Amino acid sequence: MALYSASNRMTTQAAGPLLEVRGISKRFGAQAALRDVSLALAAGEVHAVAGENGAGKSTLMAILSGALRPDAGELRWEGRPVALGDVRAAQALGISMVHQEPQLVASLSVAENVGLGRLPARLGPLQVVDRGLLLDQARRALTLVRADLPPERRVGTLGVAERQLVAIARALHFGARLIILDEPTSSLSPAETESLFETLRALRGRGTAIVYISHRLEELRALADRVTVLRDGGVVTTAPLAETSNDALILAMSGRELATVDAARDERPAGDVVLEVRGLGRRGRLHEVSLDVRAGEIVGLAGLVGAGRSRALRTVFGADRADEGSVRVRTADRGWRSIGTLRDAIAAGVGLVPEDRRALGLVGTASVADNIGLVTPPGTRRFGLLRRGRLREFARRAVETLRIKTRSLDAPVWTLSGGNQQKCVLGRWVGPEARVLLLDEPTRGVDVGAKAEIHRHLRELARRGLAILVASSEMPELLALSDRIVVMRQGRLAGELARERATAPEVLRLATGTR
Amino acid sequence: MSEAAAVPAPAVARATWWQRVGPLLGLALLCVVLAVASPHFLTLDNLLNVLRQSAINAVLALGQLVVIVTAGIDLSIGSIMGLTIVLLALMMRGGTPSLLACALTVLAGAAVGLLNGLLLTRLKLPHPFISTLGTMNVARGAALLLAAGVPISGLPAGFRAVVAGAAFGIPSPVIVAGGLYVVGHLFLTRTVWGRDLYAIGGNREAARLCGIPVDRRLNLAYALSGGTAGLAAVVMAARMNSGFPLAGSGAELDAIAAVIVGGASFFGGVGTAGGTLIGALIIGFLRNGLNLLDVSAYWQMIVIGAVIVAAVCIDVLRQRVGRDS
Repeated sequence: MALYSASNRMTTQAAGPLLEVRGISKRFGAQAALRDVSLALAAGEVHAVAGENGAGKSTLMAILSGALRPDAGELRWEGRPVALGDVRAAQALGISMVHQEPQLVASLSVAENVGLGRLPARLGPLQVVDRGLLLDQARRALTLVRADLPPERRVGTLGVAERQLVAIARALHFGARLIILDEPTSSLSPAETESLFETLRALRGRGTAIVYISHRLEELRALADRVTVLRDGGVVTTAPLAETSNDALILAMSGRELATVDAARDERPAGDVVLEVRGLGRRGRLHEVSLDVRAGEIVGLAGLVGAGRSRALRTVFGADRADEGSVRVRTADRGWRSIGTLRDAIAAGVGLVPEDRRALGLVGTASVADNIGLVTPPGTRRFGLLRRGRLREFARRAVETLRIKTRSLDAPVWTLSGGNQQKCVLGRWVGPEARVLLLDEPTRGVDVGAKAEIHRHLRELARRGLAILVASSEMPELLALSDRIVVMRQGRLAGELARERATAPEVLRLATGTR
Repeated sequence: MSEAAAVPAPAVARATWWQRVGPLLGLALLCVVLAVASPHFLTLDNLLNVLRQSAINAVLALGQLVVIVTAGIDLSIGSIMGLTIVLLALMMRGGTPSLLACALTVLAGAAVGLLNGLLLTRLKLPHPFISTLGTMNVARGAALLLAAGVPISGLPAGFRAVVAGAAFGIPSPVIVAGGLYVVGHLFLTRTVWGRDLYAIGGNREAARLCGIPVDRRLNLAYALSGGTAGLAAVVMAARMNSGFPLAGSGAELDAIAAVIVGGASFFGGVGTAGGTLIGALIIGFLRNGLNLLDVSAYWQMIVIGAVIVAAVCIDVLRQRVGRDS
């Protein structure tokens, strides 16, 4: 079987790189996701790829694993040029990817998952699965990843760490000599992480090349031989990790030019505290989140993917239930109100613009007016009857205030451009009762012009006295908008930066937990 | 760029237009064809006959519409009809005043419908297909048990005369259905509840994040659907002069057909009372026309099946046009 070819070849491996990437570029529409990326991966090497959210890591890995085709550039496997058409072609060469949440079939056994797509069969055309051989193969693959799992066990009963081992065993079973791991430790405990690292070191010792994507610097130090830093789709540096300081890495990842202050940012007098969050927690997801937002203030919520920004916003809003802690809002009549449920929050003048407007924000089948009026603003209902005239007036005002470009109030919302759709979601929460605005990635998938416009509207709303909390993966957006930035890391607040101290490297330092 | 995007592509405009006018055109076309094909079609007697025959399906279809708008489905309405018609007959035989018995019948239907809703929202069953399939069998079994498997006859003559009779030359079932559609239309378009149902069907999570009490609204939708089944049972009892435990067998399929032919979408969020009424009439005229033309009952089933599939195809095509732009 292909299973052992990797280890056998180890001793005969030439000094040249296993996979060489030369000048790869990839565009999505007008956006350049990768620009002229080159790197070389050697057998028996753990090569880390680091970079901020959106730096191009995922695109690069998708190309290496055959899921995406590059627009330009060349891939060389053991010195020979290859075209990786699809994932199966890459697998056939010996490249496998293990995703963050391993893609396994929960209802099948460990052994079946290891062999799926290549199950050993008996009896010719009847294709009866040879269970004995399958269990045997699975056991051998599991030994390689040091996983002490009964191969008959159902994958659905395994934890994430064990699933990852199964996924790696599967890759090895398919003859992988290059394994790409995408942030494998994001939901592992420290002990599980250490155990995974042991396995990866053992594989490295056998001559397997490993590409390891992460932005946790201490992990890179513990595991990787070399690191390649991506920023804005390009390679900033490739260097042996031992010769690179954390400061240098952070600087490479964030770039220094971003520290500039946006000229459009203006002075707004901060008023009273309007939103008060104390010790908010949700088991395993969110821990002891406390913060205040004042009237007229825009607070940025920073953090890496999975740090809990969206969770925090949704829990403050009452869309996700909190296990502990409290949220209070000072309402228009100046009285404090506790927020327990989403309906409490809305009644108190809190609004949420969720991260994915298609999945969470808009009713695609409904009109612009109905989408904006979906929250049934005060005064638009009488004994359950909708007061259509007032509802349209509310929508019309939102369309005017936010300059939503639409043919009419009755146009289906999906006929609008992305930026204008987003403004419809925002428009629900900007009525006279609004006090607090929670925004999650407010400009994702929106073109540059619309982005600047949305930023302007947010500043205008803050000037009107709203308390605004914005979560974003885009550092420039946070730096441009925020009066101060609260950084999250692994479900907790990692620190807070006043506007003067808020620079990209400083934010990233808190987000990655490096000192 | 936003300027260009704000002007809808012609395909989109066409799709929306068809959604509104398509069913009506279909009905008109069908009537013209039938009028030409059969001399008996365009007579007052025949037209009133079609309306009378379509009334029960129209009542059921309105309840079904309320559920389909939420991206759900209610398979149990035929069985709820069977159960409530037996209850009605038992109550009347026991001497309950007719008006009270009718009201209780509708409420009983709503109660079973509410049970459908609670199975979905409280027990978190994965899809209303499952919960209402279960209720469908339970209700039918209960009906057969209560009636000991045989029709219960001997309903009050006054009840029959009013509900199966006519006023100003218009059959009572047609008046009942017509009144219900006026109320249904106002409910769906003018009330918070109706608007919320569309929102839930269009995007359940977005509706929830806007503060709409999704579970309560779904319970309401299924209760209304059950209630219309109870009302249909009242009309049916008067026409048949008995409570037949197998009444309404398969009725859910005609109701679903009327809703879909009437331009509502299985994907939720789209559909009107007017469209559903037209859908019920299309099904009714189709059956009547095929009868007049002496087409065998077997061929009728094939034709109506084809119409349903065609209507769903149009729905799917419409969705695709919507997605692509």
